[in-house]
Amino acid sequence: MSTWAQVKENKKIGEGIFRLRLEAPDIAAMAQPGQFVMLRVSHGLDPLLARPFSIHGVDGGDLFILYKVVGKGTRLLSLKRPGNKTLSLWGPLGKGFDLDMQRPVLVAGGMGIAPLAFAAQRLGSQGKEAPLLCGLLSTKGFENLTGSISALVEATAERGRVTWATEDGSAGHHGLVTHLLESALSSFPDSSPCGGVLACGPMPMLKAVAQICAQHKVPCQVSLEAPMACGLGACLGCVIPATGGGYVRACQEGPVMDAKAVDWERL
Amino acid sequence: MSQPNLAVTVGRDRPVHLKNPVIAASGTFGYGLEYAGQLDLAGLGGLVTKGVSLKPRQGNPPPRICETAAGMLNAIGLANVGLEVFLRDKLPALKPHGVPVVVNLYGESVAEFVELARALDQAPGVAALELNVSCPNVSGGGMAFGCHPGPVGEITSAVRAATALPLWVKLTPNVGDIVPIALAAQAAGADALSLINTLLGMAIDARSRRPRLGNIVGGLSGPAIKPVGLRMVWQVARAVSIPVVGMGGILSGEDAAEYLLAGASAVQVGTANFVDPGSCLRVAQELAAFCQAQGIADVNELKGGLKV
Repeated sequence: MSTWAQVKENKKIGEGIFRLRLEAPDIAAMAQPGQFVMLRVSHGLDPLLARPFSIHGVDGGDLFILYKVVGKGTRLLSLKRPGNKTLSLWGPLGKGFDLDMQRPVLVAGGMGIAPLAFAAQRLGSQGKEAPLLCGLLSTKGFENLTGSISALVEATAERGRVTWATEDGSAGHHGLVTHLLESALSSFPDSSPCGGVLACGPMPMLKAVAQICAQHKVPCQVSLEAPMACGLGACLGCVIPATGGGYVRACQEGPVMDAKAVDWERL
Repeated sequence: MSQPNLAVTVGRDRPVHLKNPVIAASGTFGYGLEYAGQLDLAGLGGLVTKGVSLKPRQGNPPPRICETAAGMLNAIGLANVGLEVFLRDKLPALKPHGVPVVVNLYGESVAEFVELARALDQAPGVAALELNVSCPNVSGGGMAFGCHPGPVGEITSAVRAATALPLWVKLTPNVGDIVPIALAAQAAGADALSLINTLLGMAIDARSRRPRLGNIVGGLSGPAIKPVGLRMVWQVARAVSIPVVGMGGILSGEDAAEYLLAGASAVQVGTANFVDPGSCLRVAQELAAFCQAQGIADVNELKGGLKV
């Protein structure tokens, strides 16, 4: 059953990008990096359905959602003010990242940063060094986003570090985040290789990350996105083509899946 | 005023007793188990399973769903675990929840429907069968059967001969006149009629010039179709003598009351389960509150109570 959650903060931290802080203690207590909530922004009939949002982090009984305004629902969401109790949600849902590994590398593209910042924090709190590689088209208009992500990860995780790649060269590495991944994986000594890559971002990026990981023989977990109605495994709307034929549900067998389980050619 | 009676019975010769008239609709509630962590299934009037076929089906290529104005389109393609897994894993797991389970059946031929019905006839824990002769998203069977009185009558009588279970036939709204089809199902031995299935529709992304569904066309559901559902339930209920289970766009207790007034004996709630996983229970509670506020002691008083 969905619950109504109070907005505690809804802060613009980049062009069209907001960070929502919701009071949702039951969900916050259970949330794992890579999991998501189904969030509904209105009482009315438009938009009608809830949408999946990955969990960006927790702080006590509060839940963070990082989102970009892309349509009607997220535009309405961006108008919510602290004190509003007009959001309903259910969760946490789905299978999150398996963090049980040594020497992980995290790769985010665009809004894929949302679950990976959470994963970086958790890994950091386990005392693991977890470099987070982030790709953006540009940092122009996103200075606050990059700043807050870096601060968030580096504050919580003593040994966390964030490296940026931008396609326009406005900050960090000039080029794709997959270049950063290539060099990161090559820099591990053979005696202690990277234990696994966690990735979230656009499909072409995830496909490239999966290929690079396969070449380096490094396990790779990808967080996938799909249109979703129930989030509970019932409607079968969110399926992803699976290796060996057929489909798996992004909400149930995912959203985080072993990259080898995904049929990238049919995706 | 004390709590109104919400209990209803669907069917006369093979009655199905429900603690309230609100049933979760096929395709929106999985096998019920998916929702067990979200609400107490025992509080439902009943649930209808995802359509079960003889063999597992993978379903249509994605995207399978998209939202439209006050509704949604789906083209899942009857993806399901198949009869064997359903009987082994799903049906027994539902038993402890104490909810009447209506099994929705899908066959590509009369013989397949009969085989499914025979197998389920022997299975414990089936309250009724609902024949899916109305799915718009599959090429063989489905709506192809449901659009004409002849095939609907043929399937219904074949299944009727194969099982003693209560038999509900789910009808498609994608026809010129639904009444002859409803009458054919009744004449062939249906105990009740479920209507409406989804309305065939499509959505287009003008920028990419592509259909929004992998299957190009799909079934429209949600509040957008409630007026169509009410109209068809009203047309059918006054033409047949067997009960009608009404559905299409029910979000609230008052929506459910409208269907009962149009002649339904019970209702199914579908797309609303995606708006809030607790919708079925909320609709039942709101229906009780509606009755109380209206001074109605028994929800059955609403049935067919439309004033025209």
